[in-house]
Amino acid sequence: MKIKYLLDEEEIPKKWYNVAADMPTPLSPPLHPGTLEPLKAEDMEMIFPKALIRQEMSTDRWVDIPEEVREIYRLWRPTPLYRAAALEKALKTPARIYYKYEGVSPAGSHKPNTAVPQAYYNMKEGIERLATETGAGQWGSALSLATCLFGLKCTVYMVRSSFDSKPYRKSAMRVWGADCFSSPSDKTEFGRRVLAEMPDTPGSLGIAISEAVEDAATHNDTNYSLGSVLNHVLLHQTVEGLELQKQFALADDYPDVMFGCCGGGSNFPGMIFPFIPDKMKDKKDLRLVACEPTACPTLTKGLYAYDFGDTAGMAPVIKMFTLGHDFIPPGIHAGGLRYHGDAPLLCNLVHDGLIEATALQQTEVFEAATLFARSEGIIPAPEASHAIKPAIDEALKCKKTGEAKTIFISLSGHGHFDLAAYDAYNDGKLVDYEYPADLVRQSLAKLPKP
Amino acid sequence: MSRERTAKIGFIINPIAGLGGRVGLKGTDGLAGQALARGAIPQSEERAAAFLKCLPRSPSPIRFFTAGGSMGENALARCGQSYEVVHHPPQLSGPADTIAACQQFRQRNVDLIVFCGGDGTARDVASVCGGLPILGIPAGVKMHSGVFAISPQAAAELAIGYLKGDVRLRKTEIVDVDEELYRGGELATRLYSIAQTPYQPVLVQERKRIYLSSDEEEFKDQIALFAGEFMRDGSAYIIGAGTTTARIAERLGLEKTLLGVDVIQKGSLIQKDASEKDLLALLDKESSVKIIVSPIGAQGFILGRGSQQISPAVLRQVGEENLIIVSTPHKLAEIPRLLVDTGEADLDRLVAKKRLVVTGYRMAQRKETAAASLC
Repeated sequence: MKIKYLLDEEEIPKKWYNVAADMPTPLSPPLHPGTLEPLKAEDMEMIFPKALIRQEMSTDRWVDIPEEVREIYRLWRPTPLYRAAALEKALKTPARIYYKYEGVSPAGSHKPNTAVPQAYYNMKEGIERLATETGAGQWGSALSLATCLFGLKCTVYMVRSSFDSKPYRKSAMRVWGADCFSSPSDKTEFGRRVLAEMPDTPGSLGIAISEAVEDAATHNDTNYSLGSVLNHVLLHQTVEGLELQKQFALADDYPDVMFGCCGGGSNFPGMIFPFIPDKMKDKKDLRLVACEPTACPTLTKGLYAYDFGDTAGMAPVIKMFTLGHDFIPPGIHAGGLRYHGDAPLLCNLVHDGLIEATALQQTEVFEAATLFARSEGIIPAPEASHAIKPAIDEALKCKKTGEAKTIFISLSGHGHFDLAAYDAYNDGKLVDYEYPADLVRQSLAKLPKP
Repeated sequence: MSRERTAKIGFIINPIAGLGGRVGLKGTDGLAGQALARGAIPQSEERAAAFLKCLPRSPSPIRFFTAGGSMGENALARCGQSYEVVHHPPQLSGPADTIAACQQFRQRNVDLIVFCGGDGTARDVASVCGGLPILGIPAGVKMHSGVFAISPQAAAELAIGYLKGDVRLRKTEIVDVDEELYRGGELATRLYSIAQTPYQPVLVQERKRIYLSSDEEEFKDQIALFAGEFMRDGSAYIIGAGTTTARIAERLGLEKTLLGVDVIQKGSLIQKDASEKDLLALLDKESSVKIIVSPIGAQGFILGRGSQQISPAVLRQVGEENLIIVSTPHKLAEIPRLLVDTGEADLDRLVAKKRLVVTGYRMAQRKETAAASLC
């Protein structure tokens, strides 16, 4: 049986695919957090380069990938599509399971797919430094790598609890020449204010975003960069799905169901968006399933509404499924999936019923990840493992019905920096967090009117 | 020690604590003679000595007050600590001596009472400590109260930490089981009082912990805030015993019966210290009634004979789907699973499943819940 479906470097896509061109319902515009009027391009120019703002607002179906970006993509792209033959055997399923592995990038995840073009466009517009935040450290690593390759400086505000607990993430960032600070830091006005009020805070993504945005807004040579949620991020990630289509053709197969983990939205949309036109035309039975943690079940339990993108209420107000911008998810090990909202493009398609969502408990996710590692060898990131669990369930369903379905797992990265989480699982110390959706609904129903 | 004056500890040993356990008596209440006859060897003094050996010795910054002979004096003398005997028990000492010694400790304004024993001793000490912090060196058969350190060595660390000002106090439940029933194979925990104890979370910090705080009290506030929100639905809420549930009432500006069951509706206390009869009457007139309970003691009982008012009849009428469990994540981490013991096995089975436990503001965990009768 053929295990790996590999493409030649020349087959790295030359254009990104923009799903906004094909969506049945147009995207609701993002609003200015102060005026609540639709956001204008000028509003974003203080922290983003013009090229990315154009992409953010574009409805063109195809967007050219600059040759300089493709050159860097060659370092690890195209990424391999694997047939999970050993996992199939372990499950004794008639189903065919495939996974596309983005952990082969230098940063160990899919995040460089957008970090590289973001660094490129900023460099082209004369920006010398990028500021960003990172929770689990994957995005910070990816942007450190990308800025390093384009000769830019990079400042990463890393949530303090991760900064302390995942020291090797910041080591990697240092190797790539970035400055990584524990957030809240004494480098920004906002950080100093938080430190004065809460010296012992473990930090949060919301605080780190506010620090990075302030850094960018107060320095002319510096822009801000974000690794998920925004339209241009999802656009860049479609290199994954475009490659995958060619790889499925090589395998002479086509997926019945595709699973991917979903935090703010980047890997999963990037992988499945190129399949949306198929789904709308002749592949109506294709199931596209976003997998999220029960601790932060944005798509399965959230409200589809306009909400702030960040905790402080500084970021644009966007229409998305949200648990409320003041919701702070518990400290699960899949740190990359702890976001109160989700990418507007993805939410729009979920709302229109083209994409479905499911939520998983931490313990069952690690159990599935361990089975995967013991059959396929790769130790998956806890985030990616949220896609493995339901894929295994689907394969076991096939075992019962005898169906030979084609099941796809988007494997966004490796778990080499997450071994402490695996230790916690093996020591029986994982906690199954859950969002008390019914009680929250009950509490919101009788909110006192202002 | 950073305190300028000498720290004062009241120190008391229950010399017969733990005697029953090794000879299969499940507790020693009223059975010391029988235990000794079965060949039990007193071990509480050894446990106390293990604690004392971990403390700094002469010149010790701690001054001990204790009871004579096997109730403390012997161990302190053996371990070279300076002490003053404030109570002289007769040869066959008992609970009255523990109580008398603790009264003396109070008069001498000790900083902390350290006792060596089990739940029975904890009950006696807590009944007269008058709000003084107490700390248990585990030496009994049953240690379900929250005042026990996990070992004599850990007790020493906590005591030193507290006297230095490095360790906080928390309120915790003093529970005991009915030994008669326990010997018959039944667990029947009862909540006796609330005491203050030095506390350091035994939780190893998760590597990627994003808790806003390690302070348990803050989580009680978060739970209370959330409860205050979802309780606006107009239902009558039967609130069980315990410090976490008490915080819910406190946040609503209501004074809860700490050891009893109260009923709150639309922000008012409509029934204080309700009996089963009161609750059944309430259920007759109210269409929507819900129950909020929190796990009690180190075993994690959510429903047991400790809160008899919430009887099988009450629970059946309310419906297990309207049972809301609240607990701080700290406490939940310390108990392997929740236990339910309503006294009716079929009802226990209905309640015993992986249940949602509210652990913070809009935050919950799934926790295994087992029927004690089936354990």
